[in-house]
Amino acid sequence: MSIRFRTVCAAAALAPLALLAACGSSGSTASSSNSASASAAPAASSGSGATTLSETGSTLMFPLFGTWQTAYSTAVPAVTITSGATGSGTGVADAATGTVTIGASDAYLSPAQTAQYKGLINIPLTVAAVMVNYNVPGIKAPLNLSGTVLAKIYAGKITTWNDKAIAALNPGVALPALKIITVHRADSSGSTFLFTSYLNAQDPTDWSSSNIGTTITWPSVPGSLAETGSGGMVTGAGGAKGSIAYIGISYLTKTTAAGLGTASLLNKGGKYTQPTGAAINAALATFSGSTPPSGTQSLINTTAPTGYPIINYEYAVVKTTQPSAAVASALKAFLTWTITTGSDAKTLATVGFEPLPANVLTIAQNEIKSIKS
Amino acid sequence: MATTAPTVQPDGGAGLPPLRRLGAALREFVRSGAVIRWLGRVGAFVPITALGLILLVLIIRAIPAIQYSGLHFFTGTTFNFGSQFGKPVHSDGLTHQPGEIFGALPEILGTLVTSAIALVIAVPVSLGAALVIVERLPRRLASYVGLFLELLAGIPSVIVGLWGALTFGPFIAHDIAPAIADTLGKIPGLTGFFGGSTGNGQGLLTSGLVLAVMIIPIIAATSRDLIRGVPLLPREGAVALGMSDWETARRVTLPWVGAGLVGAAVLGLARALGETIAVAMVCGVALGNLPTNLYGAMVTIAANIVQNLDTAILDPLDVRAFAELALALMVITLLTNVLARLMVRRVSGTALPVGRGL
Repeated sequence: MSIRFRTVCAAAALAPLALLAACGSSGSTASSSNSASASAAPAASSGSGATTLSETGSTLMFPLFGTWQTAYSTAVPAVTITSGATGSGTGVADAATGTVTIGASDAYLSPAQTAQYKGLINIPLTVAAVMVNYNVPGIKAPLNLSGTVLAKIYAGKITTWNDKAIAALNPGVALPALKIITVHRADSSGSTFLFTSYLNAQDPTDWSSSNIGTTITWPSVPGSLAETGSGGMVTGAGGAKGSIAYIGISYLTKTTAAGLGTASLLNKGGKYTQPTGAAINAALATFSGSTPPSGTQSLINTTAPTGYPIINYEYAVVKTTQPSAAVASALKAFLTWTITTGSDAKTLATVGFEPLPANVLTIAQNEIKSIKS
Repeated sequence: MATTAPTVQPDGGAGLPPLRRLGAALREFVRSGAVIRWLGRVGAFVPITALGLILLVLIIRAIPAIQYSGLHFFTGTTFNFGSQFGKPVHSDGLTHQPGEIFGALPEILGTLVTSAIALVIAVPVSLGAALVIVERLPRRLASYVGLFLELLAGIPSVIVGLWGALTFGPFIAHDIAPAIADTLGKIPGLTGFFGGSTGNGQGLLTSGLVLAVMIIPIIAATSRDLIRGVPLLPREGAVALGMSDWETARRVTLPWVGAGLVGAAVLGLARALGETIAVAMVCGVALGNLPTNLYGAMVTIAANIVQNLDTAILDPLDVRAFAELALALMVITLLTNVLARLMVRRVSGTALPVGRGL
């Protein structure tokens, strides 16, 4: 009995040491990003026939990824997929450091990230949009808002809903003298990147280019709310009268249920549009012809009069070099499935996404082909 | 394991096959107690080594950020990750994004002020609770209340944070904050800090109160045990001299365990300073924002690190700045502990956190 007790004691005492050692090694691989294969080791396991693909990232994409996960596990039981809604920034960071196989992101990789993490690519999987939602009781028809007005609201220069600038965009609408509560993401988010890109595209004076990103330093606006995840944005905006928020299109049913309105946004063509499928595709048509082979492209502020101004490619951020042949082939098969079978009209309609145009589909397939072990 | 003991040969296992001889030697080694001795030696060095290594790694990692920010780190009020999609620039041997500014004053102050609010509220409440449990409540009831106190101390902080974000924060915004602004905020001289916009339930006051809720059980449970240890005789003496209950508590019971009570408060303070997730959920994570009043959105060092590490880890300089932040938090915690020890020594002359027994 005493020997077993000692063994347990020994194991208990040594466990922290082992952890310490493990932490030390993973820390060093994370900092020296060149040793890609070493740091990718824990990302996926392929023991005893079953392969696991792990995903973290975009909460905007999470509802779709959940649907894919269920459908794919039925179709291909040998591959297990785990997913987590952590925000795009975490998805990119996890994929870059090799913690997960797939990082889902609403934002493409920045030039600095591409330079620092060699072999990290972003594959467009689908097309999404970001809504601007508001909690203003008594407003029936959608409010018209522009990037300029939104930039001034988020900079704290417009503070009430009956401000002249908002009234000018909405003739004939009885706006209440309600204080505006700006809601923004607390975590690192692709939605933040897309929304701030739109603000800067329409109003570079009120919203400088240094304030575009997945995590930004928000101007200090008294009473503003910070929320974690797209779901947190819905709850936060839904609970605060007078709030305004930016939330991914995949949360449309939830924002409607929370009593939030969806604003019509001004595009570069000078018209106000709702984030409908037709408006997303109209905007996409002005960009998709010039999508580069890397898939990296901003789809913000379309010139098409019928196009919605905040749309984006949803990306899978992956390493081209995977730890084993089994993981590489499982990953390629899964990604190919997501942009073909997984992107049928019925699946995408549930989250309000649109499929990739034919030429971008080819770009995505070529990127998938570049994955190896 | 009775079957294993007789197999050990008196001659140390000589003449047995090599593998069994090794096994016998191993068993002998275990039986001699050397394992425990060695484990003890290793175990004794683990904490000090861990502390040393953490400090060392943080300092090495933070050096480029210290060079980049200089004293501005402690005085600056702007914390910006820079233009993430801009053209990278080079400085101090690192490639990083343009426009990165690391002024940590708001988060250092945020960490200290939220903990101070928590302590100001938690200490009187805890002492009151401890006194009532020990001296007023019937023994059965007191043991149940004490049990709940200990259960409260064991609630994971994420649950307290969730409650703070969904229930407590809005309650503060709708009821408590306007009430404070209407009373304290009307007193001349206090208008600046207690008046003004009462916010939406995320910020300084909510963070402080959530922290108070988390440290009250710690301070109260420790104080209760200390007060229970105060002998009956001096208290009876005080009552015999005609002191009221409150006078007895103030002049005899509490001074008797004064040093221990400071220790209990420090235990709570240490928890408050380092508390991460609950504060991250209710503080508003307003980077570089010095709140202008009690209700404004703010950020603490720990909340910034937990919410923005994913962004920082992708930029060589950001992650160095986070190492510097971590270092600052660690120094603050260590300094608080040292300060508390000095205070305890002044109060009693003995070390933490024991009261004076009989």
